[in-house]
Amino acid sequence: MLTRRELGLATGATALSGLAKPALAQGARGTVVMAQQAQPPSLDAQVTTAQASRNINLHVYETLFARDEAGNPQPDLAEGVDVSADGLTYRFSLRDARFHNGKRMTSADVRASLQRYGRVGGSAFIMQPVDAMETPDARTLVVRLKQPSPGFIAGISSPRAPCAIIPEEEAGKEASRIEVIGTGPFRFVEYRPDSHVRLTRFPEYVQNSRYQGMDGFAGRKVANIENIMIRFVPEAGARTAGLQTGEMQILEAIAVPAAQRLRNDRNLQMHEMLPWSFQTLILNHVMPPMDNPVFRRALQAALDLEEIMAISTDGLYRMTHGWQHPGTTYFAGDVGRQLYNINNKDRGRALLRESGYRNEEIILLGDSSFSNHQAAIVTAAEQLRGIGVNVRTVITDWPTAFSQRTQRTGWHMWALMMGIEPYEGPYGVVGYFSGHQPAQHQRDEVIEDCQRRLTTSLAEADRKKAVADFQARMYDQAIAIKCGDVGIIQATRANVRDYKPYRIPRMWGISLA
Amino acid sequence: MLRYAAGRLLAALPVLLIVSLLSFGIVWIVPGDVAAEMAGPTATAEELARLRERLGLTRPWHEQLVGWYGALLQGDLGESILLRQGVAAAIVERLPVTLSLTFTALAIAFVAGTALGTLAAVRAGKAADRAAMGTALIGFSIPDFWLGLVFVYVFAVVLGWLPTGGYVPFATDPLGWARSMLLPAATLALAQMGLFARMTRAAMLEVLQQDYIRTARAKGMPGWIVVGKHALRNALIPVVTVAGIACGVLLGGAVVIESVFSLPGVGRLIVGAIQRRDYPVIQGGLLLTATIFVLVNLVVDLLYATLDPRIRHGRR
Repeated sequence: MLTRRELGLATGATALSGLAKPALAQGARGTVVMAQQAQPPSLDAQVTTAQASRNINLHVYETLFARDEAGNPQPDLAEGVDVSADGLTYRFSLRDARFHNGKRMTSADVRASLQRYGRVGGSAFIMQPVDAMETPDARTLVVRLKQPSPGFIAGISSPRAPCAIIPEEEAGKEASRIEVIGTGPFRFVEYRPDSHVRLTRFPEYVQNSRYQGMDGFAGRKVANIENIMIRFVPEAGARTAGLQTGEMQILEAIAVPAAQRLRNDRNLQMHEMLPWSFQTLILNHVMPPMDNPVFRRALQAALDLEEIMAISTDGLYRMTHGWQHPGTTYFAGDVGRQLYNINNKDRGRALLRESGYRNEEIILLGDSSFSNHQAAIVTAAEQLRGIGVNVRTVITDWPTAFSQRTQRTGWHMWALMMGIEPYEGPYGVVGYFSGHQPAQHQRDEVIEDCQRRLTTSLAEADRKKAVADFQARMYDQAIAIKCGDVGIIQATRANVRDYKPYRIPRMWGISLA
Repeated sequence: MLRYAAGRLLAALPVLLIVSLLSFGIVWIVPGDVAAEMAGPTATAEELARLRERLGLTRPWHEQLVGWYGALLQGDLGESILLRQGVAAAIVERLPVTLSLTFTALAIAFVAGTALGTLAAVRAGKAADRAAMGTALIGFSIPDFWLGLVFVYVFAVVLGWLPTGGYVPFATDPLGWARSMLLPAATLALAQMGLFARMTRAAMLEVLQQDYIRTARAKGMPGWIVVGKHALRNALIPVVTVAGIACGVLLGGAVVIESVFSLPGVGRLIVGAIQRRDYPVIQGGLLLTATIFVLVNLVVDLLYATLDPRIRHGRR
């Protein structure tokens, strides 16, 4: 629902449509303190895929296209795009926007930003299809591709490592060496490592007059708050206490038991987001006996995925088999469902015998930095011991586990939560299991073909078919095991008005009572 | 005294050299690197390799070792990969927080601990002794992490007297600084307070049996002067030694407390660097912590020698 202020601004903007005056968030006031566990590894939005950075950067930077509430790409700094019939030429018209240093955004800034992304971007591969970029005028950018790439707009609109538009003068700089200058509704003030980041409302922000209200990372962004303080509070109990005392108004996430305990507190509001991510078990196909699909199917058949989900998520989960979220464009329906959460120990034992398993040690790798990774691995280990698998669990900190999993030896199964990839569509998910170094360390030609069809087919129906075939292969060959969908709970003080939970806590559109 | 101090300082140099070598070596032995933090959980192997190359993590170890010592000899601890800030600057920025916390905790622990220990010794075997030692034991036994959360709940959430965390610089707001320090320092102090209390009690019981104490009492000197002036001064010699060790323990304990109370101190900097494999910060942080530890021990040794001149003459 639109607030009166939003409605007023929308009406005003419609009347002035085309003139694109700087936004006037009249009466913007107050400071919102948001707490998050981690601090950002970088404030260079293009470089990092970390959630801790995204929470901050997406208030400061904007992209040509951005994802709406349902995760679909919508024009943000672009007014729109014309794609040629052969899918090789993208003509972007740009809307009026101003950088935080006062400079007006031009197509030269956009071109330089995209070129830089190809060099240093966290998902630089999205620029690989680009052959050339031209700037016929200050408000137009023409991108020519080497081959059709229907995922191009999805790529440049992804918030994973946002393809942020920065001033041309900054674009020549190395990763994490830029000044924090974007076009977003809030501008950067200071970063005190181990303490906080401070942002303030950008009074010259040019709202996107195509929209009436906020819509995902796109839409009309109205800054009703004067200042934002993002504090780094590593201890969950301290974050909850800060919310209770009113020192903090928004928590990026609150532990499920704490949320249940505080659900009836009239000063607080809990905002549940389900689905937030996938809980998965990645399998290493080059380590025997995991190289044998029959052995992998034995694990797939024996595991009680609901128990894993219940324990690893404190109860905030749903059992869904899809490698895309239900209700999204590429959700593949019932494909593979019959092989999901079979939970049949006898069938598991039979498949173990059929695979010729000879009590080889199976290493289950997890990390203690993400509690649900550790819980998923420990629970899976107990279940597999129950059918006679010789299991050894290795729990380390995150960098160690992550480093180990990039090796071809030393692990058989690894717990991973996939959050932003399924949200952004099929490209990240399919891409994770394909390419030169797929997650399972062994190329699967069927999946490679699915990836090729997904990234080159111009017809949406063909791309959907590719995703459905990918999902079928994931289950048929037990490439990896999807356990289920995980939720999170964001929390706010009751005086935070019009808050809508999303991939990050959004500070535009909200106000303080 | 100067020769004694110079000798102790020279003896510390090999220690620091070994620490610098160890801190460099540990970084190479421990698996994982900062690229994992920057690239995110679902980064592909190709993305990681590209990032490692760009961050200079693929350079051979001997090249990095030479670079590390070369810079160190010029007083340069390097630059943090994640903070984009010099390591020395990052540490100096956080030092006031950690020193505030450590020395406030030390002061609380020392004053409260010696007071409790003295009370227990003077009332040995009586109810006050048992109460004081019981308090010391509780303080010694409770994990500071848990105690910190309980303090936050009681004094911040329920009573609303103090903030849940965060740091206010003394120069900005002295009262705010005191409010931000009270809970973390008290949490950190409690275990060491128990240690001081037990040490003081034991030392005081021994001193109170000495002839000169009996003589002082026989002369009719008031009890509080006998205890406070004559007995306590001598009893404090072993306690001061413990203060040096306690200072090191408190510096180590500050790591946890800084996390619980969201204090941007050196401990949190180093732990964060370890978790994220920010090598230059780990190396510089370990070296600096070891230097502080060595200096504190040096100060304690000098203090010890002042309190008991026999020590610097090598007669004890």
